Amino acid sequence: MRKGAISFLFVAILILGAFFLKSCFKEPIYHSQSYVFGTLVDISIYGETDERASLVANHVLQDFQDLHNRLHAWKPVAGNKPSGPQLSELGQLNAAFQKGNQPITISPDLAKMLIDATALSVKSNGLFNPAIGNLIGTWGFQRDEFNPVIVDDNKIKSLVKSNPCMTDIVISNNTAYSNNPMVKLDLGGYAKGYALDIAADYLRKQHVKNALINIGGNIMAIGQHHDQPWRVGIQHPRLPTAIATLDLPDGWAIGTSGDYQRYFMLNGQRYCHIIDPRSGYPAQHTQSVTVLVPPQAHSQTQAGVLSDVVSKPIFIEAPENRTKAALAFGIDNFMVIDDKSNIFVSKKMAQKLHWIDSGVKFTTLP
Amino acid sequence: MLNLLHYPRLLIQELRVGDWLVVLAGLLCVFYLFQTLWSNEHATKVQIRLGDKIYATYSLNQQREVHVHGKLGDAVISIAQGKARFAKSPCHTQYCVHQGWLTRAGQAAICLPNQISLELLGETKPYDSLNY
Amino acid sequence: MKPTHIQTTIDDHRIAKLAAFAIALHMVEAIIPSPLPGVKPGIANIVTLYVLYRYDFKTAAWVSILRVFASSLLLGQFLSPGFVLSLSGALLSLGVLWLGMHLPKQYFGPVALSILAAFGHIAGQLLIVRLWLIPHTGVAYLIPIFALAALFFGLMNGLITSRLLAKKSVQMSAKK
Repeated sequence: MRKGAISFLFVAILILGAFFLKSCFKEPIYHSQSYVFGTLVDISIYGETDERASLVANHVLQDFQDLHNRLHAWKPVAGNKPSGPQLSELGQLNAAFQKGNQPITISPDLAKMLIDATALSVKSNGLFNPAIGNLIGTWGFQRDEFNPVIVDDNKIKSLVKSNPCMTDIVISNNTAYSNNPMVKLDLGGYAKGYALDIAADYLRKQHVKNALINIGGNIMAIGQHHDQPWRVGIQHPRLPTAIATLDLPDGWAIGTSGDYQRYFMLNGQRYCHIIDPRSGYPAQHTQSVTVLVPPQAHSQTQAGVLSDVVSKPIFIEAPENRTKAALAFGIDNFMVIDDKSNIFVSKKMAQKLHWIDSGVKFTTLP
Repeated sequence: MLNLLHYPRLLIQELRVGDWLVVLAGLLCVFYLFQTLWSNEHATKVQIRLGDKIYATYSLNQQREVHVHGKLGDAVISIAQGKARFAKSPCHTQYCVHQGWLTRAGQAAICLPNQISLELLGETKPYDSLNY
Repeated sequence: MKPTHIQTTIDDHRIAKLAAFAIALHMVEAIIPSPLPGVKPGIANIVTLYVLYRYDFKTAAWVSILRVFASSLLLGQFLSPGFVLSLSGALLSLGVLWLGMHLPKQYFGPVALSILAAFGHIAGQLLIVRLWLIPHTGVAYLIPIFALAALFFGLMNGLITSRLLAKKSVQMSAKK
């Protein structure tokens, strides 16, 4: 009996030892993928135990889900009130805007977001405009699936004429109202970037030194992957591969606006979700815009938000004004692929990109 | 020492049950180590070929069933959790179905009668995450 | 000044003799070039195992540790990475031997212990490699080769030890 016990113990110790040794040689990288925010969220954490990494990653995902529920532009969220599903916080605000200029109370962080988004909208000469929710809805992009929509040109014209602007919104003491009942907020071009900043902030506070967060294509890096910077691939707008890769240093963020994720085809024409607020029609002269954003001063708009926001005005702006649109935000790393698949890369960006296909032809912008 | 080499039968006699067990465990251990550490080319995609053409390439991350119309009829290919297999095939031999799950890059299952083949593609990704 | 005499026991002499033999084997092995760095037959372990069977664990441990220290001094690599590797390997393999000693003797002979000790040896060395010398996972792909070598040489050394032990007992019984 005793010998049996000893043999058992022996085997147990050997197995434990083997596992210990194995854990020493496993690369300490953790990956999690899940669908939150109506998109794929991909978190990589390097240098933490799997247990801790999954703990912080789940916390981040939970935060994303909460944010998503609060900022959802069109779906009623299941509330814990007996009245059943109700509007998100943003939905309630939109309803109040529509009713008239009675201020309603909003949470402090939403107030901060709206003030920030307004400043960014002004910087973009109104090309980044989260107030055009009605236009986006009319084009059918406030849905989970996009079906071809035949729009009424007159309706678009009247919506454009109603001129909803972020500056119509008046925010004070965590209350908000709009001077224009046609303002309908859709933070689709802001929230993902904001979530990146929140996540990066949280992870740094948790002393996670190395992580890569990807929310629906917008990516933010913390630290690096072992002894090299995190490396990200940039999607080719028309092929199922990456077009180039680049190193994303600590604190940098990258964002792309493309016409290949949210769009519908109608009569051979592509209608994407990026709508020019001046015309009310989807921008059709660009396939994708990628911006690379360095870390920002603490008091400024953070890199995550900028990576989400800045690509839009560049996408919409006329070709000759793209550099100007980027520089308005202090961004000098960007790439544009136009509707003819011509590639334009800013001078700084050109030094950072590693093309997947070595024969790629591109034009360097001054 | 020369004695040893001359009398292999003696060698065998030298080993007791436990010794054999340890040798066996050692072999298993070595085999396992080769399996896990020499296949860091883990598969990420499955490529389905129909005839001489690439029919489709799917990620192994998403669970799905793919119906492919081959020379004899419809074959069903299951993809789940990093693996892929022929689930159903109209062929007589059913070799392809019996191959079971393919898990490693470079592994392939070929259904000759129906002219459909699966191959797992390993991808040492050139990047950590994709910006899109 | 009074000369100090160190009292030596028969045990000490025995340990010294056996350790000397182990050191000799270690040196021989150091001269023979290895096809792959790190892969060595470890014939000095035959002595350790032999001593464990003929005498006791304490003597075997002494012989093994003395061998590591003395050989590294002779080879001029005392306190070098090579020495630390050697020491950690020897220590872990001794640990495994100590555990293995308690296995039922009727089933587990020297061959089993030799293989286990050989695995202990590489495990100890790999730990040092991972934690100190090459602190990333780049050497992981070499592990299967090390393990295969450990299995093979562990088996060989075990068989040799087993033969030596059998011979010795034949001689002893003949003397009687």
